[in-house]
Amino acid sequence: MPRYAMAIDTERCTGCHACSVACKVENDVPLGSFRTKVYYWDQGKFPRVRRHFLPVLCMQCVDAPCLTACPTKSISRGEDGIVRINAATCTGNGACKDACPYGAIYLDPETDKADKCDFCSHRLEAGLEPACVETCPGGTLIFGDLNDPKSPVSQFQAKFRRELTVLKPEEKTNPQVQYRGPVRDMERKIPRGRNHDPRTYEIETWANLDSGSEGGRRE
Amino acid sequence: MSELHQISTERTEGVTRRGAMKIGIGALATLAVGEQILLHPGESAAAAVAGRPAPRRRRRPPNDYKRATRTTSVCLNCSTVCGIVGYVIDGKLVKVGGNPEDPNNGKMLCAKGQSGPTISNYPERLLYPLRRVGARGEGKWERITWKQAYDEMTRRVRACLDDGHPEEVAIHIGRSRIADIMGRFLNAIGSPVLLNHRALCSLNKRAANYATVGDVDWESVDAERTKYLLNFGSNFYEAHQGAIHFLKRVVKGRYDNGAKLVTFDVRLSNTAGKSDEWHAPFPGTEGAIALAMGNVIVGSGEYDKDFVTNWLNISLDQLRDFYKTYTPAWAEKLSGIRAADIQRMALEFIRAKPRCAAFTNRGSHAHYNGFNNDRAVIMLNALAGSINKPGGYCYSESSSIPESVFPTPAPLPPSPKVRTDLEDPPEYPLANHWQKMRVGELAYAYLKQGRGRIRAYFTYTLAAPMTWPEGRSLAVEVLLNEKLIPFHACSDIVYSETAHYADLILPDATYLERWGLDVRNNYELRPYVTLRQPLTPPPAECVNFADVLIQLGKRLGPNVSRYFDFRDYEDFTRLRCGNVPRGDCKDGWEFMKRHGVWHDRTLPQSYNLYERVLTAAQLKGSTTDMATGIISKPNARGVVEAIGILRDGRAVRGFKTPSRKFEVRSQTVIDAARRVKIPDNGMPVYLPIPHHQDLAEDRFILTSFKWNVHTQGRTAPQKFLTEIMHSNPMWINAATAGRLGIRSGDTVEITTYRPRGHTFEPTGRRIGSTRIRAFVTEGIHPRVLAVSNSLGHLFGGRVATGRRGARPAGPGFDPKVVPEDPDITRNLWWSQADGGKGAGFNINAILPIAPSPLTGMQSWYDTVCTIRKV
Repeated sequence: MPRYAMAIDTERCTGCHACSVACKVENDVPLGSFRTKVYYWDQGKFPRVRRHFLPVLCMQCVDAPCLTACPTKSISRGEDGIVRINAATCTGNGACKDACPYGAIYLDPETDKADKCDFCSHRLEAGLEPACVETCPGGTLIFGDLNDPKSPVSQFQAKFRRELTVLKPEEKTNPQVQYRGPVRDMERKIPRGRNHDPRTYEIETWANLDSGSEGGRRE
Repeated sequence: MSELHQISTERTEGVTRRGAMKIGIGALATLAVGEQILLHPGESAAAAVAGRPAPRRRRRPPNDYKRATRTTSVCLNCSTVCGIVGYVIDGKLVKVGGNPEDPNNGKMLCAKGQSGPTISNYPERLLYPLRRVGARGEGKWERITWKQAYDEMTRRVRACLDDGHPEEVAIHIGRSRIADIMGRFLNAIGSPVLLNHRALCSLNKRAANYATVGDVDWESVDAERTKYLLNFGSNFYEAHQGAIHFLKRVVKGRYDNGAKLVTFDVRLSNTAGKSDEWHAPFPGTEGAIALAMGNVIVGSGEYDKDFVTNWLNISLDQLRDFYKTYTPAWAEKLSGIRAADIQRMALEFIRAKPRCAAFTNRGSHAHYNGFNNDRAVIMLNALAGSINKPGGYCYSESSSIPESVFPTPAPLPPSPKVRTDLEDPPEYPLANHWQKMRVGELAYAYLKQGRGRIRAYFTYTLAAPMTWPEGRSLAVEVLLNEKLIPFHACSDIVYSETAHYADLILPDATYLERWGLDVRNNYELRPYVTLRQPLTPPPAECVNFADVLIQLGKRLGPNVSRYFDFRDYEDFTRLRCGNVPRGDCKDGWEFMKRHGVWHDRTLPQSYNLYERVLTAAQLKGSTTDMATGIISKPNARGVVEAIGILRDGRAVRGFKTPSRKFEVRSQTVIDAARRVKIPDNGMPVYLPIPHHQDLAEDRFILTSFKWNVHTQGRTAPQKFLTEIMHSNPMWINAATAGRLGIRSGDTVEITTYRPRGHTFEPTGRRIGSTRIRAFVTEGIHPRVLAVSNSLGHLFGGRVATGRRGARPAGPGFDPKVVPEDPDITRNLWWSQADGGKGAGFNINAILPIAPSPLTGMQSWYDTVCTIRKV
């Protein structure tokens, strides 16, 4: 039984959104909702300015707050490490979305069900990588089976063990997506309790640190 | 009204008519032959959603890849043309990914490529041929049959041929990738008038490569193996021909191989933002920086002695002399980049030789002086001896489709005997010298001036009213003029800017629904060719434009139809695959259809190309000029041409330049300049931009750019791309904005002026103004303003124009043809009517037509402007 995990090497990320768009197309995600998003941050003053990117998706937490919050027990965590929402029993009350520190969950406006990244389980079953991982031109998203020491994610973890961290460790959800690179500053862009608001991609606030978590609240 | 309509050169448009006529794109699918329909810019207004509310979107079950048909093809959402794999389930294209067998991108694909399925499934596709009724530009159409369309087009073309004026038939393209059939059609009828967009894109870069190395127009920097990259103006993290092919190798080179990336860009693009060093020069001074680096390198003595001594077409003394006055201090005064930094980077670069490369794209060359800017940059590779060396400035021998493997079916029509100023303006003698790149931005101006005459005008993948400089004024004016353009047939996927001004609209197939061969520069440094094939058939009566031309060719009498003795474009492409080795398949055609790529790994990579020793077979029948060392022999057509050069007693290939060496001094340039009476000594001297001299304090330079999710004209209808980027405020430097009291979100008015001293209408007069929101950023030069050119559509459906709601009212639409997308109806959240930012601004409307001297490149990034807060 594989145990899936992901590592994100933000140094390699080029902010291209291939992951976000691949995910949208693959998983029929509605406009306004995101399973995968890429945050931008411009740091510095002219002429010494750098731009940073932070791809964020569901952390497939071991201690997933969405799972405990769900009143209909529609969320489960498999032995394969993937947290899944059972659409059949979901009543769309949104408790899971409210509980998530990473903005990973959205309520589909058409079906009124909660939805989120499941590491493209349907692709894994067919022997394919998640859509985001497959397409990433920078090789930023590293994935695989932690039970296999030769898998890309195992090798990456072995190589960069000391440099790896998780987002919002104070939430203590034990996320299974690890990050390499300076992510502490950009963490605050990740919304708590609601899905990513695409208006935080608007150019005027796009590169700020303060947009995303508190600004641009969607009605 | 949105900001879109506050461009002061804009005409107001759009009057809704009621009555017996159907209204809006939504009615297209049930339009019967002879029925009329009204399509105009306001037609997808969300305000009145008549009839029943759109049904809720049913969640599509997860893709079952075990049931999917997997077919290879080629993307065309940008010019990089990555090999792709498409997955079709139950007749619907559900997913596109990279083709692992494509040597350039492999399984990777960018956001635009991933967006593919939303193109074929866009509810506002054109489905039937339409003929204009009423005045041109009024938006009134009737559905006709393809037979009627062909009859009309045949009649129009036939009239020109019968009058002995084939050159009055013109095809105008954006990015077609069907050159084989278009060239065949125009040659068969005898017209040279293929108008294109190359001069609006990359003409100066290509010209600079031709003038220096001669072999190719586009390099494939060996980024995986490099140690140092000097990037002048390219934004390959987001755009650039070769985008992710280059990006992925640069990422590997940097993070797996320790390479350093330095970027010169007036704005903090994503490339600049992630570079190890970003420097923002004053626009158009990139050449000065490159020349100063050359000065430092030559002065240090650390240049590659062998290459500089043996492979330049000037002597070391002449080289020293050339660089003498181009000091770092001089370059600092012009560019604002510190002399100490220029010096340091030049030495870092040369000390990495030969694993170093200096390269460019539009940021350095879309200028009055862009041609020489790029030549100066390419020269740095010559100084480093890194041309076609591992880790250096490499390129494969050819990035054309090899005729030996993919023969064009005979008989081949002869080249046209006539020429016109439209496709070959004499004022720009280098535009067509090495390759027919043309000066597309002049097309409408020249038509208006009577410099050429068109009677039958075909447009394809062209968004000129939006993408051309002064598009909304001059291009539209000419397109509306029935004396200048008596007949206009437009092939397009959506009701686009150009389609609105046509007389006949031909519903095109998307790139995912058609055939063709394609190729780009190969970073694996060998020839390769990809096959584009339909992932799904085109819906309703959509026909790809290549097949339209073939059908037209068959109808124009035996003198033309003899060149179209094949069934259709699929048949033509199959014939072209005649010599492909069959590999593990029945024949070459099956091989191409299964694998999607021909890539001959038995051929050597092009490292050391110029030092390749000529074989005995190649030398047979050749003669050597002992004065120059140049070896020549007659080619297949009996014309004597150079094939190599003697070097240390050995016959080697050299460069495909007149001297067979890397050309610093170009006789080609001298000759061309003489023809148009411009003084030019053939050296890549720094040319100050005339209208930037003595710039008043209140003047800024206005520039434009692309995003990673958009190209310049045809991606806006794709919902997942436009969701991410749909508004394009004006970038302004924080300190500058502070001085002017401008904050992010404020509305400003930009006014642009014609460039004095330029080649076209150098009056300095005001062109136009537009109102636009400001975005205050640290990421731009203090004297530069930037607006993305990707947005500001008036047409193209709800997604492109940022309107939520149902497909406009009509007798309904047939979900069996192209189903409605409730996601657009309900969830398009950026609509202005809902308080969103809307569909952006068209900046090209106020950018002047400005072809650069000798070459004719549109100098996009030179525009002088003023701004004021409103």
